[in-house]
Amino acid sequence: MPAADLLLVLVVLADFMVLGTSRLTTCIRAIALQGLMLGALPIALTQHWSLHIVGLAVGSTVVKSLVLPWFLRRAIREAAVRREVEPSIGFTLSLVLGIAAVAIAFGVSQRLPLPAGVSELLVPVALATVIMGFLTLTTRSKAVTQVVGYLMLENGIYLFGLTSTDRVPFLVEIGVLLDVFVAVFIMGIVVFHINREFDSLSSIRLTELRD
Amino acid sequence: MTLFFLGLGLILAGGAFAWLLQRTRIADSVFALLVSLGCAAALIPAAGVLGGRTVAGVAWDLGPPTGIWAFDIDALSALFVAVVLGVGLAAVLYGISYLAPEREHRSVGGTHFLTALFLVAMALVVTARATIPFLIAWELMALSAYLLVVFEDEQREVRRAGLIYLAATHIGTLALVAMFALWGTHAGGFTFDAFSRSALPAGAGAAVLSLALLGFGFKAGLVPLHFWLPGAHAAAPSHISALMSGVMIKTGIYGLLRVISLIGGAPPWWSWTVLALGALSGVLGVLWALAQHDLKRLLAYHSIENIGIILLGVGTGALGIAYGRPALALLGFAGAVLHTANHAVFKSLLFMGAGTVFRATGTRAMDRLGGLARHMPLTWILFLIGSVAIVGLPPLNGFVSEWLVFLGMLQAGAALGPVRAAVLGAGVLALIGGLALACFAKVGGVVFLGEPRSESAAKGREAGPGYIAPMAALALACVAIGLLAPPAVRIALEVAATVAGAAGPARQDVIAPLTAAASGITVVSGGLVVLIGLAWAWRRMLERRRPSAWTETWACGYNGVAGRMQYTAASYAAPLLAAFARLSGIRVARAPGAFHTHPFDLVLERLVLPTWRRMAGTAEAIRPLQQGRLHTYLLYIVGVLLALLLYLWLGGAA
Amino acid sequence: MIAWTAIPALLLVLVVAPLLPGIATKTKSWLTGRRGPPVLQLYFDLGKLWRKRSTYSRTTTWMFRLAPLALLVTSVGAACLLPLDGRSALLGFRGDFIAFASLLAVGRFALVLAGLDTGSSFEGMGASRDATFATFAEPALFLGFVTLFLISGNLSLTGMLGVGAGLLSAWIGGGGHAAPALALITISLFLVLLAETSRVPVDDPATHLELTMIHEVIVLDHSGPDLACILYSSAVKLAVLGALVVGVLVPRTALPAPLTGLVFTGGLVLVAVAIGIVESVMARLRLSRVPQFLVAAAVLSTLGALLVLVR
Repeated sequence: MPAADLLLVLVVLADFMVLGTSRLTTCIRAIALQGLMLGALPIALTQHWSLHIVGLAVGSTVVKSLVLPWFLRRAIREAAVRREVEPSIGFTLSLVLGIAAVAIAFGVSQRLPLPAGVSELLVPVALATVIMGFLTLTTRSKAVTQVVGYLMLENGIYLFGLTSTDRVPFLVEIGVLLDVFVAVFIMGIVVFHINREFDSLSSIRLTELRD
Repeated sequence: MTLFFLGLGLILAGGAFAWLLQRTRIADSVFALLVSLGCAAALIPAAGVLGGRTVAGVAWDLGPPTGIWAFDIDALSALFVAVVLGVGLAAVLYGISYLAPEREHRSVGGTHFLTALFLVAMALVVTARATIPFLIAWELMALSAYLLVVFEDEQREVRRAGLIYLAATHIGTLALVAMFALWGTHAGGFTFDAFSRSALPAGAGAAVLSLALLGFGFKAGLVPLHFWLPGAHAAAPSHISALMSGVMIKTGIYGLLRVISLIGGAPPWWSWTVLALGALSGVLGVLWALAQHDLKRLLAYHSIENIGIILLGVGTGALGIAYGRPALALLGFAGAVLHTANHAVFKSLLFMGAGTVFRATGTRAMDRLGGLARHMPLTWILFLIGSVAIVGLPPLNGFVSEWLVFLGMLQAGAALGPVRAAVLGAGVLALIGGLALACFAKVGGVVFLGEPRSESAAKGREAGPGYIAPMAALALACVAIGLLAPPAVRIALEVAATVAGAAGPARQDVIAPLTAAASGITVVSGGLVVLIGLAWAWRRMLERRRPSAWTETWACGYNGVAGRMQYTAASYAAPLLAAFARLSGIRVARAPGAFHTHPFDLVLERLVLPTWRRMAGTAEAIRPLQQGRLHTYLLYIVGVLLALLLYLWLGGAA
Repeated sequence: MIAWTAIPALLLVLVVAPLLPGIATKTKSWLTGRRGPPVLQLYFDLGKLWRKRSTYSRTTTWMFRLAPLALLVTSVGAACLLPLDGRSALLGFRGDFIAFASLLAVGRFALVLAGLDTGSSFEGMGASRDATFATFAEPALFLGFVTLFLISGNLSLTGMLGVGAGLLSAWIGGGGHAAPALALITISLFLVLLAETSRVPVDDPATHLELTMIHEVIVLDHSGPDLACILYSSAVKLAVLGALVVGVLVPRTALPAPLTGLVFTGGLVLVAVAIGIVESVMARLRLSRVPQFLVAAAVLSTLGALLVLVR
């Protein structure tokens, strides 16, 4: 499955793009690109076509690569955030930790019982994306980057789901997508309000809210 | 074996003469002569073993309490004996000149005796084949090294370094005693023969290997057990630094290799740990070296780096045994032992170079040096040879051993199973190489090139033949191993075979093609030397036709180059260290018009000393319990007794 | 081990090398709407410098005069280890890629020392930057070699390069991940090339301010034939690293030797054009961001290696 392999490699590269860039807009562009790959993946992975597959592909492409990035861009514009990622660890270290995550994911998945008939990169890439999503969540302080990390996390889980597209009911997939959509929506609203109240979007400042 | 012990006896006798005759003029010559003879005599059997002959081991049963004293020289021991005595001889000869100016202030003869004792102890460590003689030699080595480190004991800094060294080395010894005790209980005897015959149960094996890593790791100075090393190496007289860094820390490597060969391999977790520790020591060692301003501390941190490279080899070799890949085991161990020998040669050369610079200028602070190449051309060339060798560049010996370690790691990639992941270590090794290059370009450039940065640097003059000759001999060894790569690689592989326990055709399958490939190195290195020589001759011929002009440095039109305006060691290293952020272990002080960096040891100051202070604090807190009054102690005894009775009563009830 | 048949291709590359910076500059000029210097400019410069005499600073020692020669010998030596005619290198043995990287490192070591030899803070600055960036380029380069070894199972550059085409067809047929890995390390090696040959976005060869220079400032004091040596060596280094990138992609097929040599040369020209394109569309990175750029290259190489390691 050469096309699927290529898409999965690009998914990992998009992860690294998020970790390595200092610009919020590039971050969002990376997550949009990742969404595009994820949308194309069900088609590249499948052996036999069905409405289910096509629906999944179209649905995730629209949500992950168009709607959510548009929403995030709007959030940046409306909230007039400084367009720089402010990581708590250096970009170089982020990249090194990222590649370590990929190495661990690849190593661990050698030990996992892999489902037959799917690309052998699928599970490692899914794991790597989840870990790097966590990395983004924990080391980037801005609310928008938090959302991006959250999306990476979700993309990783989505990839896990692809190991068994034929068995998971369509409704579950839609439910997951909707879930994310609502989550991002709520986060967006929270972002606006935090910004209005505190003039800052850094989640580090959130610790000041206690008591 | 007789010749070996005769040699060691001669070395000791030389030391004793140096001590007894220290008021007379012939003391130095007698010392030099006897030690040279002794080393030569003891090297003969070692060279024989490396050449393929065997030596009959000896064993004496001295009865209780010490039991059997056994000594033997196999290929592994022979290589280390060669390192100990070969490099040791150069260091001793250098030390005679180096200590001569101190003759007025203190007992130089005593130091010479201790040096001789130090050498003999190390030679015994690597040949002992039973627990008791091994541990006795080990302690003798540690203690004589301590006494040598505190040579300049009037300085507070030196005493502190000595104390930290003494504490660290004894924690290591403690681990070794525990290891041998455990091993001996299971093996039913305390000779190495008994160890190798017995099969350890898995749990005991794991404990023995862990204790070995701890005990020998302290001696080898791997991160994070290295904290004693920079201070001790910097404080000791330069020839002793050369011996400690070049030879003594290698006994830790010897110990690890010996334990592996006695147990017959190590489980994967241990091998991976060694590999990871090697990577950690390599990268952090060279990074911290880059941050140093003191020439000898810098070299000391490079020892940690090189121990890291050696451990990468050891780890690869151990993985080879663990996963049943003999070719991998051979390559890894061969890289490790060859790099051990090479590092001994070039690191002692560099420490002697640093000592020569110190004697000439009276300072080790790099930011006060500069421009020494003009007045100390020979020292500079020799130091440059050492630098090129340690960076691992052709045409010198460091390249040959790093090539072997690289090949070992790549060999891992050709295998199946989890061992393949070791191939990524090649990237770490490449990073280490790059950092080492940057670091030694800094040392050479800042210390020897450019303009002098202080009065004392401008005063530096070339040292006498007593300094130059031992260094030249070591430099020659660097060149020889570099250019004669095939025999060096073959010997290293033979030694590795004794560690890995590989025999027969499998071994020849690896050795023959690798020796052939090593001749490619000879072509590259030889070609490099010849072509640069030709290019130089041709360029000078051209210059004769069109004579060059000599003027000031351009410096973009500003004609006032002064020594103090040059890039310093700190400013040179700043961008590299900045990229590693907090890991680089420097404190930066900025002021308008001034920029200072202060290197500090992350492990020592962030981990060891705070722990120590906390322990001391706890001890202080329970001190009131000790009042020296008898009835208080009786009260304690009664209290404990009551507590025990209470426990029995409650336990009985249950 | 030694293949004399490789000499014609080697000579061809050594002759063509000074053309490459010219092509890069020309491409950049075209894309930015200028005419630019002639493609053969470097040849003219070399000829002019060669006829001049050198001027040395009284601060310098023999190291300063040795460095240009060491640079020349090592870059030509590195070229000898590459299979430039697509068949075999002049000299090839197990692990020769380590010698390849080390030879380039020897040249850099000499150049950095020569920079510090002048006692000028400008050259000290250049030396520091050169050493720093080269350090970070090293892991990317070696991990690239590791990946090539994992793909080809061969420890010699001759065997490592030229496996690209076969892999592509195998990959489309559904076997292994070698082809995406190969694509990743090609990019990574190209990034290393940009850094090692002091090109945008790491260094700007066209800059006129000493404080922003890297490679240009380290050779500030070299003049006459010495400078000619350095400029020529830089061009050869560009050709050598370019040939590495090309060698990863160019198939080693049954083409006759002269034709493969031409294919290689054509590939080198394409690399030069690519450099020109990068230079005209990208800005230079801030100096403190350069390590990150090279770490990214190393990450690509590692990812390539990991892809091959997953079986």
